[in-house]
Amino acid sequence: MRNVAIVGIGHSKFGKRTDVDLAELAFESIKAAIEDSGAEKKDIQNVTVGSAGGWYEENLPAVIVNEYAGFKDVGTMRVEAACASGSAAVRSAYLSIASGEADVTMAVGIEKMTEVDTLTAVELMGRSGSYLWEFENYGMTFPAYYALYAVAHMNRYGTSEEDMARVAVKAHHYGAMNPLAQFQKEITLEKALSSQVVSWPLKLYDACPITDGSAAVVLASEEMAKKLSDTPIWIKGIGFSSDSANLSKRGDYVGLSATVDASRKAYAAAKISPTDVDVATCHDCFTIAELMAYEDLGFCAKGEGGKLIREGQTEVGGKIPVNLDGGLKAKGHPVGATGVSMTVEISKQLRGEAERGRQAPIKNGVGLVHNVGGTGHYCYVTVLSRSK
Amino acid sequence: MAARDEPPTLHSKRSLNLRFNIPISKTSRFWDSLAQGKFVTTKCADCGKVSFPPQADCPNCMGGNVEWVELGTDAELLTFTFVQITPTSFVDHDPYVVAIGRLKEGVNVLAWIEGADPAKLKPGEKLRIESRKDPKGSAYYVFVKA
Ligand SMILES: [Zn+2]
Repeated sequence: MRNVAIVGIGHSKFGKRTDVDLAELAFESIKAAIEDSGAEKKDIQNVTVGSAGGWYEENLPAVIVNEYAGFKDVGTMRVEAACASGSAAVRSAYLSIASGEADVTMAVGIEKMTEVDTLTAVELMGRSGSYLWEFENYGMTFPAYYALYAVAHMNRYGTSEEDMARVAVKAHHYGAMNPLAQFQKEITLEKALSSQVVSWPLKLYDACPITDGSAAVVLASEEMAKKLSDTPIWIKGIGFSSDSANLSKRGDYVGLSATVDASRKAYAAAKISPTDVDVATCHDCFTIAELMAYEDLGFCAKGEGGKLIREGQTEVGGKIPVNLDGGLKAKGHPVGATGVSMTVEISKQLRGEAERGRQAPIKNGVGLVHNVGGTGHYCYVTVLSRSK
Repeated sequence: MAARDEPPTLHSKRSLNLRFNIPISKTSRFWDSLAQGKFVTTKCADCGKVSFPPQADCPNCMGGNVEWVELGTDAELLTFTFVQITPTSFVDHDPYVVAIGRLKEGVNVLAWIEGADPAKLKPGEKLRIESRKDPKGSAYYVFVKA
């Protein structure tokens, strides 16, 4: 396999973007990523678009996005891995170069979720499991799935609603420093704890919002990266895994086995251990998900996620800073864009280009992207590094 | 009319209603038995794997030689949640408690708990599965406290 570098990054403003349509929103990131890369549009040999879809009017997002940006005769596809569709797109773009098929590729993540009403979006997410056995008669929602994990984790390890609320407070703290975040306001622990219950024990401030957004990365082979970039960020390893569609098929509800498996594969591919990671994005669609990710990625022992956040170890200056972009909670979670957005964020962190107050100290030059699809249905873990 | 502060927006005049016709011929015995108050599932006659939900092909050995077995209705509560914001097709429904319970045959079942106070539920509690009919006459199953 050939070495592959990220040479260009682009990221739209996240939020309720009623000012742009699907293609216009994707274009914001595509244009920025190409400009940042130093490559020309004609150098890009294929474009993979990560999008879950269903909540916007277009059925073929890849060709819609490519047409608007003026891509013609490129190999393309839309890939779907629910909330990890963006990482699936990055993997596809990566493999095309690693295999020797192409020298320059692009991955785009795009989602437009606010063109339908909120409860319809809630329904479409709730159907992301095993429809007949979980939704038809029982009306599961995305918060409800994660709440099942939260209750089990609280019961087994004594994790508290306050521990979960601390994740939201941290997210909003860093989101306030990220000009592209949906929410750029600090919140207090009291505010998080007293917010409306969505699916007990999860409250409004335990949940990521419904978001429109896009992100894009340009990848290059070693030879092309040398020509194009002074600050290439190398993809050192990608691990991916999955778990049952139906939650009732799982053995326990205190962690995501897809995360454990994907991260072990990624660490092995990159020849690193969790302690080598300087900075990470963890998939915090719900606050409990971030706490479980700390444990499942090996940043702390099983059951000690609550302790890690209480000690401030996942803030700047802590053992392993996590989600310094505000995470899904404050930055927003445009489903298919999220994995690419995380890849952009970790690239920025490793280049040392994050905004004041939210830049992690970089010692080993290693960052990690943890991107979950659905309720641990899919998981992608990508290890990035300043050195090849 | 566009809402105030809304940028120019085309409110599409085409709406789409999706209602799926889901084939259940290979597992209809489950739904028929449930209507008679029995909770059954499939067991592989070759390797012994019990599957829930029932399935016509064995996910373990991939054989198609499955038989129907009756499951016990006693369950232990593993975890639960109290759903207060419900999706659009449940919007007229009262908030509901969803649980996952483990049967002694080792399979887990996800269903509502009927008549339970969510503030007093604890994982480990004993539950029982009962069958119900919805207003249209279709059978479904719920947990009740044992
Ligand atoms: Zn079998």
